[in-house]
Amino acid sequence: MKEKVLEVINMIRVAKNLPLVESVTDNTRLREDLDLTSFDMAELTVRIEDEYGIDIFETGLVNTIGEIYAKLQK
Amino acid sequence: MNILVTGCSRGVGLEICRVLLEQGHTVYGVARSCPQEFKDLQTQYPGRLQYKSVDLSDSEHVRENVFGDFVTNKVQLDGFVNNAALAYDDIVSNINLDRLKGMYEVNVFSPMVMTKYAIRNMLLHHTKGSIVHISSISVHTGYKGLAMYASSKGALEAFSKNTAREWGSLGIRSNVVVPGFMPTAMSATLTDEQRAKIYARTSLKDATSVRSVAETVAYLLSEKAASITGQNIHVDNGTI
Ligand SMILES: NC(=O)c1ccc[n+]([C@@H]2O[C@H](COP(=O)([O-])OP(=O)(O)OC[C@H]3O[C@@H](n4cnc5c(N)ncnc54)[C@H](OP(=O)(O)O)[C@@H]3O)[C@@H](O)[C@H]2O)c1
Repeated sequence: MKEKVLEVINMIRVAKNLPLVESVTDNTRLREDLDLTSFDMAELTVRIEDEYGIDIFETGLVNTIGEIYAKLQK
Repeated sequence: MNILVTGCSRGVGLEICRVLLEQGHTVYGVARSCPQEFKDLQTQYPGRLQYKSVDLSDSEHVRENVFGDFVTNKVQLDGFVNNAALAYDDIVSNINLDRLKGMYEVNVFSPMVMTKYAIRNMLLHHTKGSIVHISSISVHTGYKGLAMYASSKGALEAFSKNTAREWGSLGIRSNVVVPGFMPTAMSATLTDEQRAKIYARTSLKDATSVRSVAETVAYLLSEKAASITGQNIHVDNGTI
């Protein structure tokens, strides 16, 4: 699951001509550290939902990678 | 292209399906009923006109009903046409809250939720999709008895303009077709005298052509309209 999240983030970063990230931690921030905009996060949500059937934004905003893991582990 | 059309069973929605099928597209239609005229189109265009019976008054379940097992993420959606609607016709002093809410479910809430999931489908496939809402001339020219109905269409016009602004950077367009009065089931209860009065308020002095409305919708969905977004296109015989 963690690899998949990283893969999706890199897919979005590549499309924006940003360099790949090697790894993320629970504290990595989506906006500040990964340069994701609200549109990028919408795409992130859609791709994760397509894979796991869970809408990570359904119950409020998500700011860090750890928060995404938490929603997917529920 | 793959296009989702609501209210496909008759009137304008059925005509939109016909025009899109003639142009070679695949249509995913939803409505509660599936009359013979619709089935005839399915026979004429085998495999290109999909149908699911969905009640859009249930906005809570519109997501699973439409996108769960019908227009899934496997279908790359190019366009969404929000056409289904009902008209709650009464004077303002008679407003019944349940009927008002019931109309907003079909005319406003379900369309907004469907726009959400249509855009999500477009995001997944990186599609520069097109969204078209059907409004009504009553938003722009008042008619007795149509205040509640017109307010629901006004909500859609504002929603469309802002959707266009919000999603334009991803190439997703949103427009509104604003028809004048058409001789469909929706306006069937009008008397001849009322009709004559309505038509007298138009430049062309006649009913709006359902075909012309459907052709305009197909145009807005197409590449030909690639630079048109955030617009309300009046197809109303020049209502004055
Ligand atoms: N007729 C006019 O003069 C006029 C003027 C301006 C704008 N408009 C607009 O044009 C559009 C098309 O109207 P029309 O004249 O073609 O009306 P219509 O003949 O009454 O058709 C309405 C369509 O909406 C569907 N629908 C209604 N309630 C639904 C529900 N709860 N769930 C799912 N589908 C539902 C109906 O299908 P089922 O009954 O099978 O569910 C039907 O296919 C509407 O947005 C209308 O507001 C009409």
